[in-house]
Amino acid sequence: MTSQKRLAAAYLLLALLLVILFAANIFWGSVALTPGAVVSALLGRGQDALSVGIITQLRLPRAVMVVLLGAALSAAGYLLQTFFANPIAGPFVMGISSGAKLAVALVMVVFLNRGLLTNSVTLILAAFAGAMAAMAFVLAVARRVQRMSILVICGIMIGYICSAITEFVVAFAQDSNIVNLHNWSQGSFSGMTWGNVRAAALVVLPVLAAAFCLSKPMSAYQMGEAYAQSVGVNVKRFSRALVLLSSLLAACVTAFAGPISFVGIAVPHLVKQLLGSAKPLYVLPGCCLGGAAFCLLCDLIARSLFAPTELSISAVTAVFGAPVVIGLLVRRDQEGAR
Amino acid sequence: MNDFFCETQNLAMGYGKAPLAEAIALGVRRGQILTLIGPNGAGKSTLLKTLAGQLAPLGGTVLLGGQDLAAYTGTARAQRLALMLPHTRRTELTTCFEFAAAGRIPYTGRLGILSEADKQAVRDALALVGASHLADRDFNCISDGQRQRILLARAICQQPEILLLDEPTSFLDIKGKIELLTILQKLAHQQHLAVIVSLHELDMAQKIADAVVCVSPQGVSGVLTAKEAFAPENIQALYDLSREQYEALFGPPKPPKPKFEHYVRSGQKLLRCGYTTGTCAALGAAGAARLLLTGTPPETVALRTPKGIVVEVAPLFCRKTDAGAECAIEKDGGDDVDVTTGLPVIASVALLPDTTDIRISGGKGVGRVTKPGLDQPVGEAAINHVPRQMIAEALKREAENACYTGGFAVTLSIKGGEEVAKRTFNPHIGVEGGLSVLGTSGIVEPMSQQAILDTIQLEMNQAALRAKAAPGPRRLILAPGNYGLDYLHGTYPEFAVLPVVKTSNFIGDTLDMAAAAGFEEVLLVGHVGKLVKLAGGIMNTHSHTADCRTELFCTHAALCGAPREVCASLMDAATTDACLEILDAAGLREPVLKSLLSAIQLHLDRRAAGAFRVGAILFSNQNGPLGQTEAAAQLLQHWKE
Repeated sequence: MTSQKRLAAAYLLLALLLVILFAANIFWGSVALTPGAVVSALLGRGQDALSVGIITQLRLPRAVMVVLLGAALSAAGYLLQTFFANPIAGPFVMGISSGAKLAVALVMVVFLNRGLLTNSVTLILAAFAGAMAAMAFVLAVARRVQRMSILVICGIMIGYICSAITEFVVAFAQDSNIVNLHNWSQGSFSGMTWGNVRAAALVVLPVLAAAFCLSKPMSAYQMGEAYAQSVGVNVKRFSRALVLLSSLLAACVTAFAGPISFVGIAVPHLVKQLLGSAKPLYVLPGCCLGGAAFCLLCDLIARSLFAPTELSISAVTAVFGAPVVIGLLVRRDQEGAR
Repeated sequence: MNDFFCETQNLAMGYGKAPLAEAIALGVRRGQILTLIGPNGAGKSTLLKTLAGQLAPLGGTVLLGGQDLAAYTGTARAQRLALMLPHTRRTELTTCFEFAAAGRIPYTGRLGILSEADKQAVRDALALVGASHLADRDFNCISDGQRQRILLARAICQQPEILLLDEPTSFLDIKGKIELLTILQKLAHQQHLAVIVSLHELDMAQKIADAVVCVSPQGVSGVLTAKEAFAPENIQALYDLSREQYEALFGPPKPPKPKFEHYVRSGQKLLRCGYTTGTCAALGAAGAARLLLTGTPPETVALRTPKGIVVEVAPLFCRKTDAGAECAIEKDGGDDVDVTTGLPVIASVALLPDTTDIRISGGKGVGRVTKPGLDQPVGEAAINHVPRQMIAEALKREAENACYTGGFAVTLSIKGGEEVAKRTFNPHIGVEGGLSVLGTSGIVEPMSQQAILDTIQLEMNQAALRAKAAPGPRRLILAPGNYGLDYLHGTYPEFAVLPVVKTSNFIGDTLDMAAAAGFEEVLLVGHVGKLVKLAGGIMNTHSHTADCRTELFCTHAALCGAPREVCASLMDAATTDACLEILDAAGLREPVLKSLLSAIQLHLDRRAAGAFRVGAILFSNQNGPLGQTEAAAQLLQHWKE
């Protein structure tokens, strides 16, 4: 049960994991660098311009971005799970990531065809619009069906439709851009710049802070909509805020790294088990730490397993995430799904 | 003013545009359990949701603590009102303590972190529902009964003043149901919460309800008493049950067993007597005092009425309150069913250890005297002197039994008295706002007309036998009621040997009977309020038949030369005693009474038609003897010799 000691130990463990994995991501890469070279590059005393460049312009921004987006992704998953009262809700399975992906792909193709460059702001806006559109569809479905499995199936179907259209759009894109777009649409953390990091941080950090401030009404909402209302929560305003925040987070991730599967489901679940509590006040920070660590690990594997070839990040997250989802479904079924 | 904590005014409720029910007027007081009963789908849950502010009313308002519910902020409302709905959402990794602690949400800060005081409140709530041992258990891993307790604890954590519960006993076994309802009773009666609970189990609803509202597809009833609501006809109509279905469930109707068994014989019939509101008040005071002095509520309370008959009944309830204790006795009119029958007379008693006084005051449902000339002075509660004595005696006996030397403060109230009083003569005679607590003998004898005439005839026959046995002329004393007899025995103790017949209101009929029985000298002794009617030839003095008292006073005053204003104020007077005061002021009492008495004599002689000599003596409780008719004066002189 949630003793203060257990909470502290769990947070400490997550933070430790985060630090170790962060370090591993910096020190380990397709270009082998000695630890000494890495440290001196980090401290700004690197002699070798190449290794300094690899560290400060490639590995470091990428690792920081992975931390930010990992936190955003799992927090978005947790918010959606709370909102739908459904432990396997998440931006990917609900089709929200795919909606964002479609919007981003459309914008990219249109802009590239006209010879314009896309910047972070446009991408985030496009992704947000796509995420909101998908979310609106999911909400419309959710109003009609109560069973969580049907809701998830609908989400997956939306995901497929969006992917199909994305493929269609990509087919019309100019050849030189297809590779870039193809990589992105598979989900990848590669090619992050400090500019991307700054833009992502500007969106993710305030949204996470806002979500944390909602943890009190969220804990009431966990006990049912009617109950939350009876203890004075303005449910309408609260659910609007929740949808907005989770869509923003999911959109931001998709804009920069493409759709990434299962992190949003697996991490909150694992964090809750680790903390022994489902209180949003404890779980949200845990999700941020855990999501960051989880994504660091997956990214490490994705780019080092078959180096120098990079795997798509979703390929790795799915390997770890999908069993958790299957486990959850099986357990729910045994308990008698409601 | 009523003291409803939560009430609705012309409320219309429902989803969408078409209201499910309209013109809902219900209310609940603190310390009271209001149960909602009715078939599935009739709107019990909708009503609760509307009362809780979850569903906006389609019309009308819900008042909470005198303020429109819609004007409350969510948090302010949640601090006064808690709603307990069936829990459907699955929780994970949540202990019962954490679950109950969610009830503190209206009180905690921005992030919902519990202070030590909050935690203590949660522990107290868990202890109150008897679930302290479950605090660290996972909410998913406890039984349904335990779960309902935790849900209740969560609602209690809100420290509400009113608690709304939607079918809290569903899915519970019988023990679970009883335990939960017992906690509700504790909350209402000890913690003084207002409770509104919808229930399916009629038997349980009947046990715990202080008031009932029936919700049926046809609409929502007003606030009913449990007795009204659970009457077989009402239940059959509410649930659309056939008589067979009802009887299959509850068994064939049993005639209700009267609590008080005393009968008067009337011809060949037995009529069950009842007891007066005064007796109820004295019994209630005794019950409440016993609870205060001994700590245990009495199973039954008993007292000897002034008539000498012992009344022993079980109180409707007897419980401690903040200030003392209260005990309710149901008024039972016996076979003489009048408007007060079935009303609970509630005596609230507080101890006054520093004095030996017994202070009696009137509460809700008890009228207040607004015109002079009644048993009590203007401004006092309409509790007559005999009931006051009975209450004082009952309390003194309780005090003696418990070796208590202090005094008592008693407040009488009659549930529903205010409403019922409108159907009585109280508003006309100057008692406002409720019923009178009265009764001179403590016992109500059934008063069906034929039964009374039979009884009079019986008494007349006995009197004739006694008169025949005595030497000399056959003499008879007639009196309309207890007042007359008391006056007669007080004033002329030497006449105690003479036969007496109580005429009730049937003075003419009794005179005829006396003639038939061969009496020779008849003296009628009665209160001026009754006998003055004889001056107008009204031989049945029941106020249903005719009144005319003030008119007669007015006419005779006019004959005696009273000015117009005096006549007008006589017409407006509430009682005959008030008339007398007006005459005194005008210096006309003597001539007017003389004129009235001769009119009375005239009408008496006309009715007697020479069969016997008859005279009348008039008195009033306030003014004492008022005079006698000519024949009465002669008879008195004659009899005294």
